[in-house]
Amino acid sequence: MTPWLLVDITLPLDRFTLSVKWETSGPALGIFGPSGAGKTSILESIAGLRRGARGTVRVGGETWLDSARGIVRPPEARGVGYVPQDALLFPHRDVLGNILSGGGRARRSGAPRVDPERVLEVLELGDLRHRDVSGLSGGERQRVALGRALCSGPALLLLDEPLGSLDLPLRRRILPYLLRIQKEFAVPTIYVSHEATEVTLLCREILVLEAGREAARGRPEEVFIDRAIFPMARAGGFENILTGRVVEASRSVATVELEPGTRLTVAAQGQAVGQDVIVAARAEDLILSVHPPTGLSAQNILAGEIREIRQPEGGDGVIGEDGGAGQVVVVVRVGRLGVPLLATVTTQACRQLALAPGGRVHLVCKANSLHVLATR
Amino acid sequence: MSPLLISLKVACWVTVLILPPGVLLGLLLARGGFRGKSLIETAATLPLVLPPTAVGYLLLRLLGRYGPLGEPSLGFDLDLLFTWKGAVLASGVMALPLVVRTARVAFEEVDPRLEGMARTLGLGRVRTFAEITLPLARRGLLAAAILGFSRALGEFGATVIVAGSIPGRTQTLALAIFNDMQIGHDREAMTLVAVTVALAFAAVFTVEMLLRKRPDVA
Repeated sequence: MTPWLLVDITLPLDRFTLSVKWETSGPALGIFGPSGAGKTSILESIAGLRRGARGTVRVGGETWLDSARGIVRPPEARGVGYVPQDALLFPHRDVLGNILSGGGRARRSGAPRVDPERVLEVLELGDLRHRDVSGLSGGERQRVALGRALCSGPALLLLDEPLGSLDLPLRRRILPYLLRIQKEFAVPTIYVSHEATEVTLLCREILVLEAGREAARGRPEEVFIDRAIFPMARAGGFENILTGRVVEASRSVATVELEPGTRLTVAAQGQAVGQDVIVAARAEDLILSVHPPTGLSAQNILAGEIREIRQPEGGDGVIGEDGGAGQVVVVVRVGRLGVPLLATVTTQACRQLALAPGGRVHLVCKANSLHVLATR
Repeated sequence: MSPLLISLKVACWVTVLILPPGVLLGLLLARGGFRGKSLIETAATLPLVLPPTAVGYLLLRLLGRYGPLGEPSLGFDLDLLFTWKGAVLASGVMALPLVVRTARVAFEEVDPRLEGMARTLGLGRVRTFAEITLPLARRGLLAAAILGFSRALGEFGATVIVAGSIPGRTQTLALAIFNDMQIGHDREAMTLVAVTVALAFAAVFTVEMLLRKRPDVA
């Protein structure tokens, strides 16, 4: 595939100079990093809202910025659908008015037509269409901002922590909308977040940004087990992300098949048989056992093999930088699962169990500590 | 024409004529980062702090027979001195600073990020101004217009010098009050004062209501 996106920009900021360069042909790129790493500045530079940005931005064969040749397209001639952290809805327009704000561009651009009615439906905003935006909840505001971006016929979606201002339960409710948007409208997306779970869910490729520079890049499950990156992900609570399909559902539990022969039992949250779901398991919530455990209340026991054991940055398992004190990350391969599972244990437990690469282990997890997100 | 009607006529014309330049200047001062900004700022505030008579005298010299805008220099007569149009000019100059300052604040309260957002949605500068900035600043701009109107209604010093106080032609409320007082028509003066108080109260009250922070226009 030819790259649809080329970004090579430098932008002096207060504390450092942002300098990133990458090209990609994947449909969704995640930018992950702590606050203040320059993530928003990248998006604003691509959108054309930062005058100081120098370098090159090429999207889908069009040049938006090429300072060497003196090309600087104004924001209105670029074609981004920008969703900032605080939604930035137009306070003088109702929900529908906001969503149609970029409709003129959508008609002119000749981009594949996105039907506003369909957007309202997918984002479940139909009943709110004539509501004043001042009365909306945080989650509703973000959905309106998403809808407005989608209906402007964008060549590129820029999502800047679209869930950043929401609390965790609400994030979990909005995430499926983002997944649905990806499936339904297939607009290339750059997704910025300091939540490892979100980027892992939404992007097959991530770029880790630290103080304005690329610290790592690649597939999320590879990048996040990097010893320098994991503590960052952990600060936001690292979660293993698994995809599967509901094969059984009762009133109390549902069974999710991850692949033939590998099943998880999760607490029922209204899942229906046949539904595609994503299961999130926090690395902290996975228990390791070297013997096949019996007589446990925990519903899930997965046999696997230790692929490697990583000490977080700081070395020797003494003190990791942010809260990784005395913790090691055990990377476990389970059956034929496409992604390894990460479990954190204390260095003491690691010693006592004599965990080592190649060793057989059992991963134990309560049905209640698995989060399930419907994707369809 | 009665002093009330003359005053209303003058104030209406002032509002219509100074609103466009006032709003433009306010926008320039709120959004523009250019050299000489503070100079323009100061010049636009000057009439607010100068004695009105000083402004009136300057206008008189400017428009007078041998001034740069007098008939001999221009080749034709602007015919402003001692007419109601002269009153419009004088009170317009006096009212402009209030309009500029209020419009400036109105624009400053519009989040520039909303304008940036509109641009990313494909709206050019002009449409962004018309569809986002202007509607969001509308209350402040309305307040600017009313303040300009009220200032023009009460102007005395500059008006009396440029337009005189010709009963039935240029004698506005403010001038008529002074005139009645001087010739001992206390009851007439009091009536006119009551009228101006009512007008001013209504205007300022409306402005206060408009500028009161409403949570939904954050």
